Amino acid sequence: MSNPLEDPDDDWWNSPVNRRESIWLGLAGAWSLGIFTWMAGFTQFGDQNPIGTTYDVDPEEYQARVGEYKETTEETDDGLIPPGDDVYVGAMRFNWDGLPVVLEAGREYDIHLGAYDVQHGFSVRPEENLNKQINLQVFPGSEWVIPMTFDEPGTYHVVCNEFCGQGHRTMHGRFTVVEG
Amino acid sequence: MSAIASLFRNDYGADGFRACSVTGLDVHRSVENYVKLFGLTAVIALAVGGSFAFSVAMTRWEFVGLLDASSYYTHLSMHAWNLLIFWMVFMEIAVLYVGGPMVLGRELPLRRLAALGWVTMVVGAIGVNASIWLAEAPNEAPLLTAYVPLPVTPWFYGTAIVFLLGATIAALPFFATIWSETRDSDRTLPLVAFGAFVTGIIAVEAILGGIAAFAYALAWRIDLIASVDPGIYRQLYWIIGHGSQQINLLAMITVWYFLTHVVGGAVVVSEKISRTAFILYLFFINLGAAHHLLVDPGMSAGWRIWNTSYAFYGAAFASMIHAFAIPAGIEAGRRRRGQGGGLFGWLTSAPWRNPVFAATIFSIILFGFLGGITGVVMGQIQVNMTWHNTLATVGHFHATVALGTTLAFFGLVLFVIKTMFRRDFVSDALASAIPYAYGAAMSVATLMLMYAGILYGVPRRTAEAVRNIPGSEFSFAAAVPIFMIFGVFALLAILSGVLFVGVSVGSLLFGDRLPDGDDGGMLPEGGLHADGGEPVHAVELRGTFALCLIFLGVFAAVYVLNWYLLTQLWAIGA
Repeated sequence: MSNPLEDPDDDWWNSPVNRRESIWLGLAGAWSLGIFTWMAGFTQFGDQNPIGTTYDVDPEEYQARVGEYKETTEETDDGLIPPGDDVYVGAMRFNWDGLPVVLEAGREYDIHLGAYDVQHGFSVRPEENLNKQINLQVFPGSEWVIPMTFDEPGTYHVVCNEFCGQGHRTMHGRFTVVEG
Repeated sequence: MSAIASLFRNDYGADGFRACSVTGLDVHRSVENYVKLFGLTAVIALAVGGSFAFSVAMTRWEFVGLLDASSYYTHLSMHAWNLLIFWMVFMEIAVLYVGGPMVLGRELPLRRLAALGWVTMVVGAIGVNASIWLAEAPNEAPLLTAYVPLPVTPWFYGTAIVFLLGATIAALPFFATIWSETRDSDRTLPLVAFGAFVTGIIAVEAILGGIAAFAYALAWRIDLIASVDPGIYRQLYWIIGHGSQQINLLAMITVWYFLTHVVGGAVVVSEKISRTAFILYLFFINLGAAHHLLVDPGMSAGWRIWNTSYAFYGAAFASMIHAFAIPAGIEAGRRRRGQGGGLFGWLTSAPWRNPVFAATIFSIILFGFLGGITGVVMGQIQVNMTWHNTLATVGHFHATVALGTTLAFFGLVLFVIKTMFRRDFVSDALASAIPYAYGAAMSVATLMLMYAGILYGVPRRTAEAVRNIPGSEFSFAAAVPIFMIFGVFALLAILSGVLFVGVSVGSLLFGDRLPDGDDGGMLPEGGLHADGGEPVHAVELRGTFALCLIFLGVFAAVYVLNWYLLTQLWAIGA
């Protein structure tokens, strides 16, 4: 008779296991392996993976780079039009430098993310469908390059979702995605 | 003062021991008094943190919109530190003393260290509270995370380190007990002591990480080092940030085994399987902390896959083992006594009016369905992109900590009031209502947080972002109905918390003293050690099996739904 407040019997390791508990171990083990396999596999065959390349960069240097990039863009009422496939975004209290930007649907862009001061949260979603959303962390000292392809034209809003100071909730930016 | 002093009085024999009328354990005065001391301190922290729950929830519910942004972050920080850290850790030291010397029938060794640990923890906790409350520009309220290089007062990092050192000191008498029990002997510890021991080891890992993280940030704030790396800080921070919640998980599961046995008559269906699950936690559960870093720059895909998936499922598997073993213990224990037949008769005939039993069972169910499933789902690299830093994450940890651990600790406090303080409840009806009211109200509030995060993408860590976003035409106003429900049920949950504190403190001050030998209605029918029935491994555990199949079905459904939502997104990453 086993109770959790007393030392177990001497042969506790060899006591038989209830049949249904054994079956449950099999089910739970198979489920754990199954979701692992799916997740690992999705990095190979899936289209949504938060994986890119990261470079160490001094925050001031990154800010200068965003500035140089902005010089090369074309300015329109809807935002900057990047000259190539690279899009630079600089997070600062309480503004997204480099946004708004105008992108073409169906074209792959390399989105460069970095911060000038503290940590920020890069949270993007289309205006008309709030549950389509991604959230990435942005550090000062890192330049993170993530490829993205927007399939649908529309307005995509960027909010900061990491606490970066008291004006944090006002930190907004925009992607305007047009037909390619 | 005399009222407080009388709380620490019981009838002990000449050797300082007494027999507990419910558990049958030999309880020494030294252990009992320190369990009471740490438990009472925890309830004070709960009351403080809980009062800030009111202002935080009523601000986030913009229909009320209580506080402005600057006060909101201060109140949010107070709420988080007092509930996630102080309420939990003071309780956990009490759990270690119960799981160690009390279960083993020993005195508490190194009592001066226990006292020093308590004083250091209290000084640290007061210091953290003061540094949050008194923070002035340019310093920001630290929230729980205090991510560098956000300017946070060095006093915060310093006093947090003091608290962590205090918790380490307070844990030493527990480790000394285990050491002296197992040294020079081949003794196998009782399961509850074993669970407490693994909890203690996980706690030490977490505390070391916390001291490293805060010392690193402190060194930078007092100009010992010129700069800090936010990525390295985050890795160190999350060893404690999530590790402290793993302590809660293990302490909670240890309490589940303890309370289902003493008030529900549960047995251990397999020592081998339950202990193996604890060992899996020991090796793997802290890797679960990596899910906070999944959308950080600089982490390789291999690092992410190893930490949050391959190895972390060692811990998820362990949780699924306990999810079967604990209800199975109740089913086996009650079936062997002939208490309830059919598929669920053992459960429906259980002592549901006993708040200790009800709190424990609700803790198990709500933790599993709401907290455990969401934890594993959001811990997948890709799905994490949709949960990270939204209110869904806040929903997840309210399910684990506010529903799971807090409910289990509510049960434990009520149990201690009867068995150690030897007080009757001021009102049995009100005491019985606590787990029902709190469990139901907090469940709805938690679900609304999850919906607001996943279905509407509402960010966390904002004072207001639904009705009122300054300087933007963009709006989360579609989530307003969710917040109307959230606000009402958050209020009800807070009132249930008030009920808990009221009944607990009221019973301590005004409850009738239980006569010697009285079990206070805590014992299961047939007593703690009912004999008879077939061997455990031969009992039909079909009720538990059915419940676990339902659990797996819900798990699979939530998993598929989250992946469906994810694949609707535009293409991201390599």
